[in-house]
Amino acid sequence: MNKVSNCWIFGESAAALPDLVSGALELAESVDAVIVGDKTEAAKALQAGCGKVYLIAEQGDTILEDYCATIQALIAREKPRLFILKTTKRTRLIAGRLAAAARTSVITDITNLSTDGKTITGEHMVYGGSAHRLEKCGDGLCLALVGEGIFTGPPAPAVSAGEIIEIAFIEPPRKAKLLERKPIAGEAVNLAVAKKVVGIGRGIQKKEDVALAQALAQALGAEIACTRPIAEGENWLARERYIGVSGAMLKPDYYFAIGISGQIQHMVGVNNAKTIISINSDKNAPIFKLSDYGLVADLYSALPKLMEKL
Amino acid sequence: MNVIACYKIVPEEQDIMVKSDRTLDTSKAELKLGQYDLPAIEAAVNAVQESGGKVSLLSAGGKEIDNSKLIKGALSRGPDDLYLIIDPAIKEADANQTAAVLAAAARKIGFDLIICGEGSSDIYAMQVGAQLGEQLGVNVFNAVKNIKPQNGAIVIERSLEQEIEVLEAPLPAVISVTTDINLPRIPQLKEILAAGKKPVTKWGLSELGVTVANPVEVVSTLAPECKERKQIILEGDSDDIIDSFLQNIRKEL
Ligand SMILES: Cc1cc2nc3c(=O)[nH]c(=O)nc-3n(C[C@H](O)[C@H](O)[C@H](O)COP(=O)(O)OP(=O)(O)OC[C@H]3O[C@@H](n4cnc5c(N)ncnc54)[C@H](O)[C@@H]3O)c2cc1C
Repeated sequence: MNKVSNCWIFGESAAALPDLVSGALELAESVDAVIVGDKTEAAKALQAGCGKVYLIAEQGDTILEDYCATIQALIAREKPRLFILKTTKRTRLIAGRLAAAARTSVITDITNLSTDGKTITGEHMVYGGSAHRLEKCGDGLCLALVGEGIFTGPPAPAVSAGEIIEIAFIEPPRKAKLLERKPIAGEAVNLAVAKKVVGIGRGIQKKEDVALAQALAQALGAEIACTRPIAEGENWLARERYIGVSGAMLKPDYYFAIGISGQIQHMVGVNNAKTIISINSDKNAPIFKLSDYGLVADLYSALPKLMEKL
Repeated sequence: MNVIACYKIVPEEQDIMVKSDRTLDTSKAELKLGQYDLPAIEAAVNAVQESGGKVSLLSAGGKEIDNSKLIKGALSRGPDDLYLIIDPAIKEADANQTAAVLAAAARKIGFDLIICGEGSSDIYAMQVGAQLGEQLGVNVFNAVKNIKPQNGAIVIERSLEQEIEVLEAPLPAVISVTTDINLPRIPQLKEILAAGKKPVTKWGLSELGVTVANPVEVVSTLAPECKERKQIILEGDSDDIIDSFLQNIRKEL
């Protein structure tokens, strides 16, 4: 396969590097990392297979976004062809700012990135998952945001003649004052590997009633998951548990949807389920067209009966 | 404090048809305000309620955005006036192009704070806010779940993957807000009627003096192959029905 000569990578955490390097090496002859941190972290990047590390020393009292000006200047000087960032909320903002300075747009949420050595094309979902869009970068800088699970190749070997280049920090022209940081306890759940999943939607009327579905999930030995409004807005389940275009993408043996209308943004996350089962009180709910087995019924009366007979 | 809230007019996803060659037909889709722009409008109205000032709405797109129902739908959410940038050249604009147009308009309108939604309902790249802030040369933050205006600055809370970050950002600034920053209002008849009387200003690209470049090219937009589903649907919750439903699904469980 033809490759572009060089690709840059950047991630919010060092843990992102190995996947980024191995993915980038499929597309480019050599891979360079931009690192905010210290020499130990730079050495780790070389170990992970980077040829060069542009090291920006971490400054006190800054947030990662404050390094944008430095990275923009570095891009203007070195003119990389391809720059892949691992998606997080911060890198989404950083990539957008880098793109604005380079007068281009980022290809975001990439599901597939490829090159013939000259052009670079990225694929991502649009219209809530109704379609996949293929986009081609121009001749200048190509910025790509790639999430978890896209680059899954084996780790790259360390580059023996790797080099660390220290880059002076450029004080950003404007800055916010960091007042406080409060860690949030996420939930360690990997829905992507779950084989049996029970999902709940707004058909569940109140927080206490989540227990109804939880009992079913437990009886079936299934993971509990939900639609976005249940996790974001209601906060009845952890964010890690919502399925869809902006949440988790699943491929379980079955998905059991309870009180879920079946909007495309949600269903795209379970389209690869072998079987879809649903309960919804509205017989015109879109979910039934996307189900193998459906029950038109009030979940509040149907679920207890179902549990009894299981 | 003068605040601009941005919104995008998007097709209703449920109305998008897939043609036999897997391309999409959006021509029959109803148009609506982006779902995640509603909290942005609400946040702008709330911010000004606290600090005083004016809320303007700003939207850019093709001529389809110049629609009285959509305009009323937006203005009935509390803002004072609306600016529409209408030009066929930006019907399918990407983030860089959209931001260039919004930036030119925002400079002309004047602002202390610009509030964007988390992402557009159709493309959802979550990039316009970032591009807009950078192109305007002002402070820019995403994932904002709380805003407090505070003499010449805003204190914002950002909801990131591992942490909540509290920042004090001097104005002017651009922020993108999360979907759960507030519960957007359902406009009442009175508000809808009042919306019809609010000023609407329409500009084209030439009036703003911007041209848009296009370095990233869309090659294709195709629907994925869809799995056929059996669609065996039962209705009711009598013992018999529940039994047959259970019989259907038992082998799968
Ligand atoms: C850009 C964008 C990205 C998005 N990303 C995602 C995403 O990743 N994941 C996601 O899930 N959503 C996402 N959404 C939101 C999505 O569009 C829908 O709003 C959401 O999936 C709907 O959730 P729901 O089915 O729980 O709620 P609703 O659509 O409100 O449906 C509730 C259903 O429950 C049924 N019901 C009510 N009472 C009962 C009862 N007693 N018994 C049985 N059934 C009952 C109703 O008939 C209805 O069909 C996104 C939206 C946008 C704009």
